[in-house]
Amino acid sequence: MAMPGKGFRASIGAALTVLALYAGLIVSLFWFLDPATLRETLFSERTAFSIRLSLLAATVATLLALLLAIPAAYALSRYRFWGREAAETVLEFPIIVSPAALGAIILIFFNNPLGEWIQENTIYFVFGFAGIVLAQFITVLGLAVRMLKAAFDEVPVELETVARTLGASPRHGFFTVTLPLARNGLIAAFILTWAKALGEFGATLMVAGSMAMRTETLPIAIFLKLSSADIEGTVALILVLVAIGLTALFAARRILGRSVHA
Amino acid sequence: MLELETLSARAGGFRLDGVSLTVGAGECHAVLGPSGSGKSTLLAAVLGTLPVSSGHVRLAGQDITRLPVEHRHLGYVPQQLGLFPHLSVRDNVRYSARARRVPEAEYRPLLDRLTEITGIGALLDRRVSTLSGGERQRVALVRALAANPRLVLLDEPFTALNESLRRELWWLMKDLQRERGLTVLLVTHDLTEAYFLADHITVLIDGRQEQSGAKATVYRRPASEPVARFLGLKNLYPARRLEAGIVDCPALGGRLAASGDAAGDGETLLAIRAEHVALRQPDDPPRDGETRLTGRFEAVLDLGEAALLHFRADSGALLEVRCGSRVLRKYGWQAGSPGTVGLPAADLFILRR
Repeated sequence: MAMPGKGFRASIGAALTVLALYAGLIVSLFWFLDPATLRETLFSERTAFSIRLSLLAATVATLLALLLAIPAAYALSRYRFWGREAAETVLEFPIIVSPAALGAIILIFFNNPLGEWIQENTIYFVFGFAGIVLAQFITVLGLAVRMLKAAFDEVPVELETVARTLGASPRHGFFTVTLPLARNGLIAAFILTWAKALGEFGATLMVAGSMAMRTETLPIAIFLKLSSADIEGTVALILVLVAIGLTALFAARRILGRSVHA
Repeated sequence: MLELETLSARAGGFRLDGVSLTVGAGECHAVLGPSGSGKSTLLAAVLGTLPVSSGHVRLAGQDITRLPVEHRHLGYVPQQLGLFPHLSVRDNVRYSARARRVPEAEYRPLLDRLTEITGIGALLDRRVSTLSGGERQRVALVRALAANPRLVLLDEPFTALNESLRRELWWLMKDLQRERGLTVLLVTHDLTEAYFLADHITVLIDGRQEQSGAKATVYRRPASEPVARFLGLKNLYPARRLEAGIVDCPALGGRLAASGDAAGDGETLLAIRAEHVALRQPDDPPRDGETRLTGRFEAVLDLGEAALLHFRADSGALLEVRCGSRVLRKYGWQAGSPGTVGLPAADLFILRR
């Protein structure tokens, strides 16, 4: 690779500054790290509950989001239809509206007649596991659709046309050509959506509350620890969340890197 | 075999307007036109990826206008070839058999034969990304033909190749067409490619079918000014038809004999192809039906196997003349040399403005 010119060396400096900023913040946690508290927090039943709840809720929310996002992203990528532009714009909704406001909207919805009917006749969402999943689902859905649409956009439509001239139905063409070629985007969408759901706080707090050993996801647990001025305990939980998130991202890079270079 | 009946279709703001053509069984028909002329729209309508607004597409007598793509039994080779990059060459060429659930015993003999003719046997276990341009072209052809299609659609598949590889693949396509009796609809902007591969040519310009016919007719007698200009004809001069076979063309010296009466009365254009303008010596005896013009060569360009000359007649008309390089070298014409050219009446023709 060619050496960058003088002007572009500044851009490398900027990239290293970004790394230093985040790494510095994480390293600064160690100032308050107490090995005994870390051990105690890591092996406590409450932390184990938070980890289990976070992993389960994030996984269910991500799978549900992908179930809806895959066909929606495909339609947005391939078809021109009434309401398409509005649908694309709405994908930004969870980004421009803060998660807390999004959670409040969900909570308000369950206080109107339709929301009440849903809660009474289907699943009770507010202050329960279903509420956590719903809050995370609503928060990550837009991101999942946007990432998957980008993945489908990368697959030339012409390949689907060729598959159809070769006798494949649209469904067969989708599963044998489009989906395998969008595989990397699909994996990346799953992992990033899952990581975002795992770290979701604002909407979860609004919809499910912050009840210890009930709706206490890892971010809620961090919030509760900090509220009780337990800095060492907070640091221990943050490190757990960071470790899970970084492991997921590292795994994603390995998987994507391997399939790209296969 | 393939019959398009007043086919119209819309693609965005573009409209393809009432195209009618017939491709006989075992024939190759080229649809020729500049960028934005409607070639791709026509192809998409035949493929079935673009809804037809009016007219019909018939294949072997069956109306397929509303038939889904996968039920049309077409072989399609697009410009970018459309090879599936996640599959091996072997899986690419047997994709059709698998999609249609054809038992291996049924498709194997044809696939083996195609593999043999095109010489891709050694490539079967390779990934598409490792193939050269020519190899990719061969694989795309085999994949399209392995489906035993009723009609093969070629969308400028040889455009990206260098000249010698292009010619090699044209010959291969010819061989395949002859051996398999293929019916082919070729879309291209390249006249040489169309002339090499096709029996008949349709010229599309701005979504309209300007001319259809045997390739020699379309090449030698373009029916209108847009077709003539697209086919690279530079020698076009305003003229007025006086009577059958006679026009008045001031630029070429006045009253002249010409063919192409179908153009009708009144204002018209007189044309002659560059290679039909005869280079003469001043003392050459006059020939029957030939108009002689004197003037000077303004530019002389040796292209290797041929030469292009710009000749300014004393009347002020500029003519493009094409001759063999050996002729140029023999007579030694240069820019500024005086010269004489002959315009045979048989090669002068009238066309629509």
